Amino acid sequence: MYRPTSLLYKWIQENNALVQKLKRVESSHSLSRDQNQNHLRWCSLEFDKLLSKVQGVPPLADDTHLELSVAYNTCLCFTAQSRFTDSVLILSQSIQRVLQTTDEAPQSVASDLPAFWKKVLKSVRNTTLNNFVLNLLCSQWLIWLATCKLKAVQEFEEDLYSLTKTLCAGAENDMGCKKVEKFLYTPLLVMEPRRLAELLQIWTSVAQGAERLAEGQNLEALSGLQKASSLPAPRILLAYIHHLCGCCFVQMNCPQMALQCYKKALETDYSCVCALYQSVLIYRQLGNTQAEIQALCLLYSTLMLPPPVVPPLADAQLLSPSLLLHSQSFDTLHFVPSALSVLHTLALKCVLHNRLAEGVDHYLDLLATLQSEDQQPINSKVPDYPRLPELYLEAGAALLMACRPADCMALCNEVINTTLELLPQRLVLEDPEKRSHGEDNDDNGEDKAAVLFWTGTAYLLQGHCYSQLKDWKQAVTHYTRCINLLVKVCVKTKGSQPQVPGPGVVVKPGTHVCVLQRLKGLSLVGRGVSFTLTDHLQEALRDLQLSLHAFPECVVAGLWCGEVLWKLGRRREAAACWEKTWSYSTQSTVDDLPLYLQEPQLGSLLDSTEIRKRIQELGPTRST
Amino acid sequence: MERLHSEDPSFQCSRISHCGKIISFQCKQASGTNEGELEFCCFLFKKESSRLLKAAHGAAVICKKTSSCHLDIVKCKCAADFRKRVSSACVLVTRRSVKGENFKYSLFTLSSPDYRPRLCFEFKLPYEIKGDVSILQGPTVLWRHAENVFYKSLQAGEVRQIPAKMSHSVVAEPYSCQGQIFVLGVQSKHFQTPNKTMAYIVQNGQEFEFDGAQMLPHPYISITQCILVLSAEKVDNILKSTVVAATSYQQLVLFLNGTVKDVCALPFEKAEEIQLVNTGRNGCLFVVSFHQGHVCALWKETFQIASQWSGVSSVHVDDFLGCGTDQMLIFKNNKEGHPLESFLITDLCGISYSSGQDTESPQRSSLPPDSNHLALQALESRLQSGLTVLHGLQREVKVKDRVLQQSVEALAEGKAAISPPEQEDLVALWDSGDESKVEHLEEKMEDMPVVSNLPHIDKLWHRIMEDHVVVGVMLMTDSSVPVANVSLSILTETGQSSTPAVIQTTSQVLLLPTPGPSTSTSSSSSSSSSVSLEPAAKRKKPHDACTANDLSTCRMAVTAVARLAPLLNSDCVKCRVMLHYVQRPEAFSFITASTPVVLQCGEVTVGIHNHFQSQLLQNPSLTTEEIEEDLLCLLTLLDRWVFHINSPDQSLGDIDGWIQKKAGCRRVDVSPQYLLFNSSVQSSVMLLHWRQINPFNGELSVHSSQVQMLKFLDCLMSHLPMSCTVHPVRSTGGHGAAQIFPQTLELEVGSLRDSLSSLFAQKEENLNSGSNEAPESSSVEGLQRCREKWQQDVERSRRRLSPLVDLGRYRQLTQRLCKVQLNGDLAALLETQGALLH
Repeated sequence: MYRPTSLLYKWIQENNALVQKLKRVESSHSLSRDQNQNHLRWCSLEFDKLLSKVQGVPPLADDTHLELSVAYNTCLCFTAQSRFTDSVLILSQSIQRVLQTTDEAPQSVASDLPAFWKKVLKSVRNTTLNNFVLNLLCSQWLIWLATCKLKAVQEFEEDLYSLTKTLCAGAENDMGCKKVEKFLYTPLLVMEPRRLAELLQIWTSVAQGAERLAEGQNLEALSGLQKASSLPAPRILLAYIHHLCGCCFVQMNCPQMALQCYKKALETDYSCVCALYQSVLIYRQLGNTQAEIQALCLLYSTLMLPPPVVPPLADAQLLSPSLLLHSQSFDTLHFVPSALSVLHTLALKCVLHNRLAEGVDHYLDLLATLQSEDQQPINSKVPDYPRLPELYLEAGAALLMACRPADCMALCNEVINTTLELLPQRLVLEDPEKRSHGEDNDDNGEDKAAVLFWTGTAYLLQGHCYSQLKDWKQAVTHYTRCINLLVKVCVKTKGSQPQVPGPGVVVKPGTHVCVLQRLKGLSLVGRGVSFTLTDHLQEALRDLQLSLHAFPECVVAGLWCGEVLWKLGRRREAAACWEKTWSYSTQSTVDDLPLYLQEPQLGSLLDSTEIRKRIQELGPTRST
Repeated sequence: MERLHSEDPSFQCSRISHCGKIISFQCKQASGTNEGELEFCCFLFKKESSRLLKAAHGAAVICKKTSSCHLDIVKCKCAADFRKRVSSACVLVTRRSVKGENFKYSLFTLSSPDYRPRLCFEFKLPYEIKGDVSILQGPTVLWRHAENVFYKSLQAGEVRQIPAKMSHSVVAEPYSCQGQIFVLGVQSKHFQTPNKTMAYIVQNGQEFEFDGAQMLPHPYISITQCILVLSAEKVDNILKSTVVAATSYQQLVLFLNGTVKDVCALPFEKAEEIQLVNTGRNGCLFVVSFHQGHVCALWKETFQIASQWSGVSSVHVDDFLGCGTDQMLIFKNNKEGHPLESFLITDLCGISYSSGQDTESPQRSSLPPDSNHLALQALESRLQSGLTVLHGLQREVKVKDRVLQQSVEALAEGKAAISPPEQEDLVALWDSGDESKVEHLEEKMEDMPVVSNLPHIDKLWHRIMEDHVVVGVMLMTDSSVPVANVSLSILTETGQSSTPAVIQTTSQVLLLPTPGPSTSTSSSSSSSSSVSLEPAAKRKKPHDACTANDLSTCRMAVTAVARLAPLLNSDCVKCRVMLHYVQRPEAFSFITASTPVVLQCGEVTVGIHNHFQSQLLQNPSLTTEEIEEDLLCLLTLLDRWVFHINSPDQSLGDIDGWIQKKAGCRRVDVSPQYLLFNSSVQSSVMLLHWRQINPFNGELSVHSSQVQMLKFLDCLMSHLPMSCTVHPVRSTGGHGAAQIFPQTLELEVGSLRDSLSSLFAQKEENLNSGSNEAPESSSVEGLQRCREKWQQDVERSRRRLSPLVDLGRYRQLTQRLCKVQLNGDLAALLETQGALLH
């Protein structure tokens, strides 16, 4: 039987003791993440020291298996700490020392690592060292993957897969009685190479899938991923495979298949939130609002859960999934908005889709969270996440819809108090097309306009609140404040002097001009209605007509204009006005407009059956 | 002489430190005369002026005529002089004749206070010493020449040779003088065992061999460039040593008793000397000087580099300041000025004096940028080592306190209060009772009226596997009238007795897929089977195999296993096979309304010469009826284990594929859910069935012997992920828990029968022992006797019908039965608990 020299034997024992220590700590889950990291750092230092001890004597054929095993252990420990350059250095040093023993001419590690490895593999093939060198190749593979050098992996693909096979076969053959006897003289490894190879294989598939997906090769990506999904894989990776399959289906325009995949991903690993987020996007795209809201709900509650204890990859805590998932190709697919942004979307969707009570609750939750922990910056990547005053105004509008005017007013006051000092005296808005030519103070102007509109909206909402409370005098005051603010804004259209755009000008929704016009229209309608109900019919008629001028599609303005005309005895005009209003498509809500710019529920004060009755009564006369 | 200028390479070694002084030597032709003399100069460091001041100087005439010989200083070093018991400065001077054939070496020693060179010894050599020469304690001069190591000392008298040829050698002496010199080497390659370590201790002018591996492991000997022995002591004939060695792999290695304790990478190549600096409370430093004037210092405790210098001409360690601890004196290469003008004295812990050259920041400038960091690390480690010392002291104080306290207490109480450790009681485990089997159970069969709606018997077959016979029946039943408690029994006709004997068998029901196009699809319910023991009436559980199925026709196989040996008393035995079942029209009234039915299926002939070759084992890809029977036979015979395999973190992958590929199993085509592991040995046949529940869970059924199953599981476990768990769900087999309950029930019935019969048998015996002669009926007396006899007979038969038994014996009987029943209850309880758990 093979008996190592005492020096070698001691080193083997030292190595084995270290490995066992590392594994023991891994298996005890009581330690915190930091403690684990510290332990890992300590272990890798010890391994490094052991390696320098082993490499401190001339390379002997007897020692190489120990040396390569220690190198493998050290390398894995370093890689687990993302110390890739150190690992690569260790690898090449060890390999070069091995080559010295095999009487091969020492090869220099050129910049072309794959070529170097190919030469090395060739020279150790059919020697006893082959398996140990293969282990090192595994760790090289790991480094390539972790540093996103997929090209090197692809170049080496055949060798790597045959390597996996060899390692697996070796492990199977090793089973049995030999194991116990050899244990004392066999250097242990921190991670079984077979398991590492299996993991790397699946990892490679995932990374390749992600890359192909990014390059638009959906079919290739899909087939590769589906093949990978049958391999034994860590739960978290399997979930990602399903997730990536889903992404492929999205690209191939198969939303239902994609949903299936996302569902599978979630079933596999509930913490795979990106799949949940992607399904939200699909539901949104399909227009399935109820499902979208439910998915958002789920997403939010999952995000609010304490972060799950990430199970280790392939039986060793050494390699955390974060090592893999921090490569660039995953970033876009892996994206999940912050919990707050999800909550905002959820609240908005609820309010817009007949779940007012829930929506208001979500808004209040959101505001409470923001107030309790404002240190958490909101991810700026999310495009539709509003700024804080807008959030307040949206919440206010939701509260108003839920008939809680007092709360709404409080929120509006908050906005007004914070923005009042920032209000510009005058503001010139330029045509969006013209502005694209670029001006320097663009941002500044934008900000000023935004502040002005926020304040205006706050007054508008307060006006709505008073109308809801039937305090028409106060309502008129607040609507007037809003109108006074809006008058300060001039719009510069193309090639002409500043003027208020006429009804003929088509404005895109979302631009400042659009907001301005809507605000103007809505505040005028509010004041008009208030005037109507306090019997100032002339003023009312003026306001309502102005409102229709500014915002022609406004249903409420049309209805109330008719009402005022009716009251003034101009019945035919009234009927015509009503008919015209009804002829507009009943666009109740517009999704891409902020919640607070939706039409108020003032129309409900008028009974449409009553109006129809009136028109019918008038009917014969009109026809003649 | 021209040779002794400052640029001479030997010049730098002609400077040594001794007792806080620097002594420099020079060989010179005395001015005016023709005499060659050894000139020396002593320097002392003055703190006030930060300079070295000449303290003393002198010269000694070595040779009368310089014209006839060359004078050279070979080496100078401080060494312990054993004769005078002082440390003295030693200078080895060589005198070479002009012809160059004779070399005369003389060792001079100088010691304080007078510092006069005195000749210690002289020797002549026919060759010049090249390479390493060492001046060691004694003083001893040791050198190598042509793979031999020689030495000369006062004790040795003449030049001695170490009795081994060494291709490479290392010479070391302990830091603390003990009179031992260690010579380690690798045996020359001319010998048959080329890689042997040769190790000698030179002591008192003699050499002794010792185990060199206790000091320096073999691979290190050939790469060691210089060595420092910190301690070496023989304890129980084992050398305890602490050694520091610098290797050609640019490492400084610390050895403790021959094992590598620590390593540190050195910043330079070709180490030449290691010195120890004792800085007192701050710990010790190793100073390693390298070829071409590089020097680095390491802390002994942390074994990390503290500082490094380049452009150094020589390094000396001594107490130059006279403060009680050691300092390093580093002479810089000074091209212009006096060689002794530019130097640095430091101990890296506060003491630092420098002189000459660019003195702005002499130390810093020579340091590489990361040395700050290194210094910080060193300081940090020093702090830590200080702390540990402090902790150690505190601990000792605590121990002292405790000892004091304990002694005081002990004194006060008059005796030491030490409680003996409590002995743990050993708890006897519950004895699970005897498991003796009731060997034979005989039962009279009654012919039952044949009922309509009979299950249709397709085929009767039998197989002989090893020492078991398996009899099987394929049944087609109509599920409108479900049958339950199906079992088979085998009756033998042994010829002599008219009543056939029932053989003890184990019966099993297996549900088969109905023949037709759907045969190939494997139904999961077909694997569910249940085991029952004879007689059928004992079984309580209804057959889920039947009730679960709601097809109009249900195909099933009923098998019975019996041991072959009791059957084969004669050459050939005809066995009648009976099918038992209970027909119950309503699903839930099986206890009340069921009537057991017995059906004769046919006869099988079992002979000792019958030999069945299992076709299944030879070719599992066939799909004949025989193969199906073979499979059923295997399923019946083999013990069955079901495992639930759960892997929480990692998906299981293709286990089916693994079983086929790696474990070498083949699929059984007649029933494709089964995989057959076939080996040449028939006892290791194994049938496997893998059912994947989801990627992380699965159920594995193993039909095999227990050993085989364990072997396979071991294989599988090493394939499965580490976090995987395997739970046994249920098992059937000779040693399974499921069999305990029926066995106890059997035991109960058996013991009831046995004890009753023994009770009556004894009675009978008593009665029979009365009279046994036949009475004569001719006479009156005889008639009378006959009448009495008849009376007695009547009486006896009356008693037999309602017998009287002894109360004591009856009590014993009930007691015994109670015990048996208790066991039965317990088994029943365990059984139900087990069922609940699964």
